[in-house]
Amino acid sequence: MNDFLFIFLSFFALLGAFGMIVLHQPVHSALSLIVTLLALAGLFALLNASFLFAVQIIVYAGAILTLFIFIIMFLNVKESNLPKEPNKTLYLFLGGIVLIPLNLLVLRAFYAMPLLREPLAEDFGEIKPLGAELFTKWLLPFELISLLLLVALIGAVVFARKDEV
Amino acid sequence: MSGLAIGIVVLNVVLALLFSLGAAPILVWIERRVAGLIQDRLGPNRCHIAGIRLGGLVQSLADMLKLFFKEDFRANAIREKFLFSLAPVIVFVSAFLSFMVMPFADDVYVEGERFIMQGLPIDTGILWFLALAGLSVYGIMIGGWASRNKYALLGAMRSGAQVISYEAAMGLSLISVLLCYPSVQLGDIVRAQGELLGGILPAWGIFLQPLAALIFIVTAFAEANRTPFDLVEGESEIVGGFHTEYGAMRFGLFFVGEYVAMSASSALIVTLFFGGFQLPYLNTQTLHVTMPLILGAIVIVVPLGSFYGIRWIRKHNRWALPNDCRNRESAWLSNIIIGLNGVLAAGIGYVWIVGLSSFSTQMLTALLQVVTFALKLLAMNFVFVWVRWTLPRFRYDQLQMLGWKVLMPLALANIIVTASVIVLRGA
Repeated sequence: MNDFLFIFLSFFALLGAFGMIVLHQPVHSALSLIVTLLALAGLFALLNASFLFAVQIIVYAGAILTLFIFIIMFLNVKESNLPKEPNKTLYLFLGGIVLIPLNLLVLRAFYAMPLLREPLAEDFGEIKPLGAELFTKWLLPFELISLLLLVALIGAVVFARKDEV
Repeated sequence: MSGLAIGIVVLNVVLALLFSLGAAPILVWIERRVAGLIQDRLGPNRCHIAGIRLGGLVQSLADMLKLFFKEDFRANAIREKFLFSLAPVIVFVSAFLSFMVMPFADDVYVEGERFIMQGLPIDTGILWFLALAGLSVYGIMIGGWASRNKYALLGAMRSGAQVISYEAAMGLSLISVLLCYPSVQLGDIVRAQGELLGGILPAWGIFLQPLAALIFIVTAFAEANRTPFDLVEGESEIVGGFHTEYGAMRFGLFFVGEYVAMSASSALIVTLFFGGFQLPYLNTQTLHVTMPLILGAIVIVVPLGSFYGIRWIRKHNRWALPNDCRNRESAWLSNIIIGLNGVLAAGIGYVWIVGLSSFSTQMLTALLQVVTFALKLLAMNFVFVWVRWTLPRFRYDQLQMLGWKVLMPLALANIIVTASVIVLRGA
């Protein structure tokens, strides 16, 4: 059952990612990305990471992609305004070849990771142990990342502001 | 799994269906009759099956049949046929699924096994609700976009902007609630609300976190797209908003989805701030201990209430002609009420003869709590309807001002105050 679910979810994750690159309409690409994100949330749930599952849907699928689609609809791209992509398949193929070394590197890093052999704690992946870990062991990186987000936010406000008289 | 365990699981699924899907026609009825009440008219009450009107409840059935048998029409201008059909499904499914984590009663233990009394036995609780509330907006946005219609697109854009701005305030208001009850599981939160505050008030969320309750209720209105936040439909300025191009059952799914989402929102409000399934002053342990007394009280109170209920029906639902349908309906209803009382008396008599086992005590407690939850849910749904027919719609800029400049800073301040109080009390 777990294997079947894994294959099912992975298939949709890959399909969504593929669709996002190949599809012509921006809205279709964004919707396809949602499929990938939801499938990834399902994969997190399969790994017993219930908090990550929920956060993946709330933050990525729920908030960020809503914003993407909102902006795309706001721009209201007409069919005739979309760029013609004559040699799209060729470019995608070449791009894929260029990316192979990177993929090999990721694969090597994956196989270099230590295998987990002892059973996990009962409350693995729940909100409490995750929070405790984040706020004790990884406090500095966590705060730095939130600072980074804050900088991005303030930057966006500064750019969007008109010069007031 | 034993037969009992399977029975409890089936009961949970049936209850979840009844509370969400089964509640939709009742909510439509409440909406129309309360609208009538507020606007000083009667509301629909003529629709009947063989003289049985149930105060207009049959009208909902007629409307449902109308939506089912209408022609499934789609304009030729719509090119995104798949997305156009998918949109109502997303709205309906996410509203329906978000109801599945609401606990109807305290956990039941059968042969040492724990059963969570909710539609799906998952314990992510609030996070699950937030996730699905965030997904439901896609249905509206995709539907509005795929309609290829200016008004529909405007509705879709408004809904996107509204959800983005109100979800932030909603999440922040929930954080202070989670600080008070250190758990995301709704069952734990409700159990914590069974205690008493200083021996007088029940420890409901609304007394512990009044500001969070206010912010959450306002944002829940926005999430459910109910007036005063229904700019998404805004029939006075953008025809029907996102569902302008929809008809028949495709529209029906949007329509039912709205009511299920409203019911899910009220269920979460009740669960977080009004004690959920807890009867005030009688938490689960007290109920277990005092079950015989409570059964005795029920034996006295319910027939008395039924007696006055029947008198009320006979007084208000009658006509001068002896064989009129109103008189027949009154007789029919009183027979049903008397019959139900008979069933209740037989059940309690049976329990009295057999004696209360640990299992039957638990089931009776669960039954009482389900009834309590249902009554609270109805009351909260009534508030939703009441607000809809009382307040006018916000203008778009007012909506954004309220979300970002009022609710969000208030929620942030509330978090800081709550956290300070908790830290000071802990130290």
